[in-house]
Amino acid sequence: MGKGWCLFFLFWPVAAVVSCAMAPMVGWSFPYDNAQAASNLGIRIDGLFYLILIVTAIVFVGTQAVLVYALWRGVNNREERATHIHGNHKLELIWSIIPGVILLFLALYQMNIWADFRIKKFYPEVAVKDPIAEVTARQFEWRFRYPAIGKKLQPKPQPDDLYTVNELHVPFGRPVMIQLRSDDVQHSFFLPALRIKQDALPGLQIPVWFEANKEGVYDLVCAELCGWGHYKMKAHVIVESEEDYQNYLKNLTQQQFYDGLGKIAANENDSESEATEK
Amino acid sequence: MRFGFSRLILLLLFPLISLTGCEQPQVDFVFSKKTNELIPAAAKPVKEALVRQFGNPFELTQFEGLPTNFGDVEGTVKTVEAPSGEEKLIRLQVEGLQDAYNKLQGLPLEWTSGKGQGQISRIKEYNYETGTIAVEKTAEIDPQPGDTFLVECTRLQFGRDLYNRHCMHCHGMSGEGTGPTSRYLNPPPRDFRLGIYKYTSTKPTAKAQKADLERTVKEGIAGTYMPSFKLLTDDEVAAITNYVIWLSMRGETEKKLVDELFFDYSKEVVAERTSEDGGEKPEEIQEELKEYMELDFPDTLEFATSSVADAWEEANMEDAIVVPGTPRVPDTPESRERGRKLYLSDKTKCATCHGPQGRGNGTATQDFWTNPVTNKKYPNRGLHDIWGNQLPPRDLHRGIYRGGRRPIDVYRRMYSGIKGTPMPAFGGPLSDEELWDLVNYVMSLPYSKN
Ligand SMILES: [Cu+2]
Repeated sequence: MGKGWCLFFLFWPVAAVVSCAMAPMVGWSFPYDNAQAASNLGIRIDGLFYLILIVTAIVFVGTQAVLVYALWRGVNNREERATHIHGNHKLELIWSIIPGVILLFLALYQMNIWADFRIKKFYPEVAVKDPIAEVTARQFEWRFRYPAIGKKLQPKPQPDDLYTVNELHVPFGRPVMIQLRSDDVQHSFFLPALRIKQDALPGLQIPVWFEANKEGVYDLVCAELCGWGHYKMKAHVIVESEEDYQNYLKNLTQQQFYDGLGKIAANENDSESEATEK
Repeated sequence: MRFGFSRLILLLLFPLISLTGCEQPQVDFVFSKKTNELIPAAAKPVKEALVRQFGNPFELTQFEGLPTNFGDVEGTVKTVEAPSGEEKLIRLQVEGLQDAYNKLQGLPLEWTSGKGQGQISRIKEYNYETGTIAVEKTAEIDPQPGDTFLVECTRLQFGRDLYNRHCMHCHGMSGEGTGPTSRYLNPPPRDFRLGIYKYTSTKPTAKAQKADLERTVKEGIAGTYMPSFKLLTDDEVAAITNYVIWLSMRGETEKKLVDELFFDYSKEVVAERTSEDGGEKPEEIQEELKEYMELDFPDTLEFATSSVADAWEEANMEDAIVVPGTPRVPDTPESRERGRKLYLSDKTKCATCHGPQGRGNGTATQDFWTNPVTNKKYPNRGLHDIWGNQLPPRDLHRGIYRGGRRPIDVYRRMYSGIKGTPMPAFGGPLSDEELWDLVNYVMSLPYSKN
């Protein structure tokens, strides 16, 4: 029975390491290409993740090896009895100081990334100067308010603001910032591909910046269990060329102030869906 | 082992045990309250007629003449696997269903050639990969290779499955607005069975256009619990809308039938008729009802469904749309001022409901109103909609536009009113310029100082 338990305790760490190593191959790793984040900040965050993964993997494999070795020796050595000790001062110091040093190192090492990610003072200046849109999370959708073309986003709605739902267009090639709000409960603005995640709190307006490193359509999901329809709270963030983005805004303006006549009157509903598509 | 296998097994079983306790939502089309208030002999034919024309959620029925995309798919029999003795199903290898919706089970299949021509079978089994279907064996149905058939309702079924996934938990299985989540929502989810929709592009008495409902599904309704379903494809949205309209037609047909019978054969009326003062014998009433059912009911049913179908068809004609006669009057302070005067005038009486400042607190909110359906006073003060819910007039300062925030949307709200609510249609009394002045005034309110 004893050796059986040894194998039992050996099996689990081996299984854990093997399955973790295989995870990227079966698509259980990071979203999008399994490795590369779709933003430069995201790549740095991934770097942090891998650093922590390596540190914890070494510790995990080391402690498990010691555990199995101890068990194995105990099973094969019936003569030597375990002795009762009151601890070992030196040992206690070692296993307090080493993790302490590692944690301190991680804390210091990640400070720059954290600051760039979360502290407004370190946000890219272009993004802070001109927020793209106000994003309002709501059970169970995302509503967006853009300023009129050529104007700046105001904290309060303006008569010429532009509105959409579940489809946020942003220009490619420059960092952008949004003002995040919630209409009802706590939600969380999560762009998995870009590794951006920020809670939305009722009553607060929280600035969030991001910059994709390639054009494309990215999922925006809610990462807070906000009610039964939480899983449906999906939207797209469409990162497109500056030109396409400006065209989109123009189109949106045209739709927003549509008076039932003129160009899109003939087949109103069709041309509208075309307009939102492009 | 100290822990003991029995305990371990119990622990593993625990999630299973707790799962089985979950309540399943109702999986049948319900009938209206009024239908259930009829005496059984009157309610039965109504219910039977509805099941015949519309089926149930598992077996949708194609009823000729409804302006719905039922979605027929043609197919041909390739080989037949003859049923052996006890077997009640005939299995057929078929061609033509390759690109059809993959859930054809339960759908009606009409034979268009061969011995069974004109007969309808139900698809009892369907295998998407191998292209085999199975139908019940009967005396008339004896398919041979080369026989052709139509599978009906594939489009409707696609819409139903999407509806049941995305809409049912609020709007209910039959579109009656009482799905499992509905009791937590205010405003409550719409009951589709009256066939009335608030936010349309059509004239005051017309129904909604398909495109109107599609827009609502895609954009959601700000200020309510109706979220946007923009990430669904256009095809999916169209299929859902198609199904919602079909549910509406079912509900409206039911209502027309019941309204015809209610006056004479509700439980309450029959009790009165057979009371001592009424002096009629129950047998007499039964006899009269039987006669009605034999002679008039088929026509009533025919008329009910066709009038409902016509109304929906008309709404989708081009001339049903409200198109302003003049472009928007420029949004100037003068135009807004003219709008404000109109707003306060006796001509529009906007202020009676929406309040002198547009805060939604007009004097009408303090009155007791009469329910147009029952002709009785509502128990509480204020305005109500046709579904019986209390409906405060909109606070125009909030900048939330449920029916859309484009000038044309606000124009149409004023031109056609808001269907099913006390908001009247001003399309006749006011000129186009006046309507635009009002639009300009109302749209400026959220940004005004007072
Ligand atoms: Cu949420």
